[in-house]
Amino acid sequence: MTVLYQLINGVQIGSIYALVALGYSMVYGIVRLINFAHGDIIMVGAYAVWFLMVRLGVPAWAAVPLAILFSSLLGMGIEKVAYKPLRNSARISLLITAIGISFLLQNLAQVVFGADPRMFTNLFPGGIPFGGKDLPYVTVVTVAVSAVLMIGLSILVSRTKIGKAMRAVSEDKDTAQLMGVNVNNTISFTFALGSALAAVAAVLYCSSYAQIQPTMGSMLGLKAFVAAVLGGIGSMPGAMLGGLLIGMAESLTKGYISSKLADAVVFGILIVVLLFKPAGILGRGVREKV
Amino acid sequence: MTVLDIHNLGINFGGLQAVDEFNLAVESGEIVGLIGPNGAGKTTIFNLLTNVYKPSRGSIRLTDEDTLGKSTHAVAQSGIARTFQNIRLFKDMTVIDNVKVALHNGMRYTIAEAFFRMPRYWREERKARKTALELLDVLGMRDMADHTAGSLPYGAQRRLEIVRALATNPKVLLLDEPAAGMNPSETAELLPTLKDIRDRFGVAIILIEHDMSLVMNICERILVLNYGLIIAEGTPEEIKNNPVVIEAYLGQQRGE
Amino acid sequence: MGGVKKIGEPKRLFSSTWSRYLLNVLSAALLCLALVYLSVSRAITPYTSSLIVQIGYNIILAVSLNLAAGFLGQLPLGHAGFMSVGAYAAALFTKSMDLPAMLEFPIAIALGGVVAFLFGIVIGLPALRLRGDYLAIITLGFAEIIRVIINNLEFTGGAIGLRGIPRHSTIAWSFVWVFVTIYAISTLIRSRHGRAILSIREDEIAAEASGISTTYYKVIAFAISAAFAGVAGGLYAHTTILLPSNFGFMKSAEILVMVVLGGLGSILGSVISATVLTILPELLRGFKEYRMIVYALVLILVMIFKPSGLCGRYDFSLGSGIDRVFAAIRAKILGKGGNAK
Repeated sequence: MTVLYQLINGVQIGSIYALVALGYSMVYGIVRLINFAHGDIIMVGAYAVWFLMVRLGVPAWAAVPLAILFSSLLGMGIEKVAYKPLRNSARISLLITAIGISFLLQNLAQVVFGADPRMFTNLFPGGIPFGGKDLPYVTVVTVAVSAVLMIGLSILVSRTKIGKAMRAVSEDKDTAQLMGVNVNNTISFTFALGSALAAVAAVLYCSSYAQIQPTMGSMLGLKAFVAAVLGGIGSMPGAMLGGLLIGMAESLTKGYISSKLADAVVFGILIVVLLFKPAGILGRGVREKV
Repeated sequence: MTVLDIHNLGINFGGLQAVDEFNLAVESGEIVGLIGPNGAGKTTIFNLLTNVYKPSRGSIRLTDEDTLGKSTHAVAQSGIARTFQNIRLFKDMTVIDNVKVALHNGMRYTIAEAFFRMPRYWREERKARKTALELLDVLGMRDMADHTAGSLPYGAQRRLEIVRALATNPKVLLLDEPAAGMNPSETAELLPTLKDIRDRFGVAIILIEHDMSLVMNICERILVLNYGLIIAEGTPEEIKNNPVVIEAYLGQQRGE
Repeated sequence: MGGVKKIGEPKRLFSSTWSRYLLNVLSAALLCLALVYLSVSRAITPYTSSLIVQIGYNIILAVSLNLAAGFLGQLPLGHAGFMSVGAYAAALFTKSMDLPAMLEFPIAIALGGVVAFLFGIVIGLPALRLRGDYLAIITLGFAEIIRVIINNLEFTGGAIGLRGIPRHSTIAWSFVWVFVTIYAISTLIRSRHGRAILSIREDEIAAEASGISTTYYKVIAFAISAAFAGVAGGLYAHTTILLPSNFGFMKSAEILVMVVLGGLGSILGSVISATVLTILPELLRGFKEYRMIVYALVLILVMIFKPSGLCGRYDFSLGSGIDRVFAAIRAKILGKGGNAK
């Protein structure tokens, strides 16, 4: 029975990683940037909900959408201000800027909210009896919401006009522009979408794990990033798959080996993937023309 | 004496046979032309010879050595040097440093000897500088030695690539469209220069070119490639009037 | 290795390489003596003294990362990992030995460097098969694994940290190691090995085609970079206690920021930015909370407006600097007499 619970745990955290990994993958696919600040958007989303609910007394059903909206706008804003000017610069400049944004967000949060962890109320209290223990509603909601969002995202990318635009810009930005795609808007939309997903992930994560602090985005973001690489960075189904796999790996390690080594296992997986199949499970490599 | 012996060279890119049944024996000091429509596989052959792509089949022998499967830098050390279709210079390094990089394997001093600035370091650096300047002289670039490679005009950049290739002391020189982007006078200068290089250094040259004035006047033998296969081989005269060749080019033009 | 002399130029004082070397060594020795004298005569407080030591190992960290990032052109995000390896190796050595400081300290530091070098080879060999972003991620991954392992080992003190390390790091020693680092990396770059490394940055495929074994040079440059990070770690260790949490991605990012701000490929740039970025947080102590925000903003602004950093790829030579000053003065004087050369 415990195996089942570990697996369920793994699927739960894996779903969260998947949502975040999607953001990384989408952004990488479209602007070839590892957005180090993405993890911190999660943190911002969490604080936004907390602030609205605890400080302003906004009810949950309003606070969550507002927080998602805020995160999207923030993501778009960051792209416009910090990444767009560097679109044609060396990759390292973009990377450093992303790191700078990450620092900035973390420290702003620290100044505004203090470094100490805050309590976050579980938005989905209670559970269903299941095999001896209670299966928390949070878990069910997490998996359900993630699944719905992932399906929705797949439909968006494959069936809608904006989805086609996203794919086109990912393949070849210049040609897409020549074909009439508004590249700037597409990129902004991608960032907004990724950030929105991160905010949802934040709400789900915090409902389960109760604490929020300025540095929470770091490790979470890093592991979600490993998930994106595992699945194949730039590939959306890859991000989903990677998220679930990392979630399970982490959960099983914590359950059966040692919770201290869970991080090492995750990074170990990263290294193994990069050494044997850098494009990831579902990714495609790109050949350099000589 | 055959300096480069290529047998049945071929490569398959995921179902597409990019090059197949490529055979060529190059004599020492020979200048061979490799022509064909765009996408025929000419640069691919250069990439195969230098192991930038791994051949699916075939053999490559350089004098007595089997170079198939050797890493690119080992192939260069054995004696096959090349230039690139899209110029690949060390743009932020000086002209003379670009050449000195290629002289790397002619020097022997270790990192430790560099650290302690031992006599061997000074000796070999002096010699390298002298050799580099001499090589630059051959292509009339001596006075540009301290310029940054990226700041050179296009024609000079192409010439620098040739100097750099020569610096590896090759037996075979693979030139990939050396005249591309050059104006007619620059191209005209290239002709005697290439002959000079062949005479002075005794290298065999394989030349990919689209500029027919250069190809017809300098190559002793020409191979014509289309869709990865050799469709004709012969002297410039023979190739000029070969109907298969003409059709390959015209056919290409009709599609444009 | 002298430059091409243009005809008609006034005679340069420091035209021969020997004269340049002499100048550099004498200046360095002078600077070191000055600092040591000041610290011994109490003109420098212990606080300032420790700050100077901090500047010292930060310079070494920045210059060593510059070798892999600026000169080799890669993007290692795990430099702190090598620093930690060197730190722990050096600290464990001095803690277990009981030799006089003059003897055990340099050995410990050298040991830290060697151990880090070995790690550099072991990690570099697989990692450097990847390019660009992938290399960045894998080095990050390795550094995190190192951190977790140190966190879980007994003899490193685990998460509680390694304490009771003798405070051997003095201004004089920092200076020595800074000098060694800068000397080593400068001489490396101005040699055929350095040219090979630079050529890889410029165009790896062309470098291979020119006969350079790119795998060998990538790994060697990476390992040497790691080695000096280990040296810096050793210096750092002997000023404080060692906590694995201090060697995470944050630390690697801070070092990277130093290098990028100073200019990738400029040793002078790294020296300046390491100095400034060590002193600045101390000056802004009053604004402790806001200082990281300012730091982050500065970083972002520099990246957007001057991504090549302070010095770009420019590197400084004391000899030619002085020559240029003299030439400018000469031109001014001669210019007045209507006789400009």
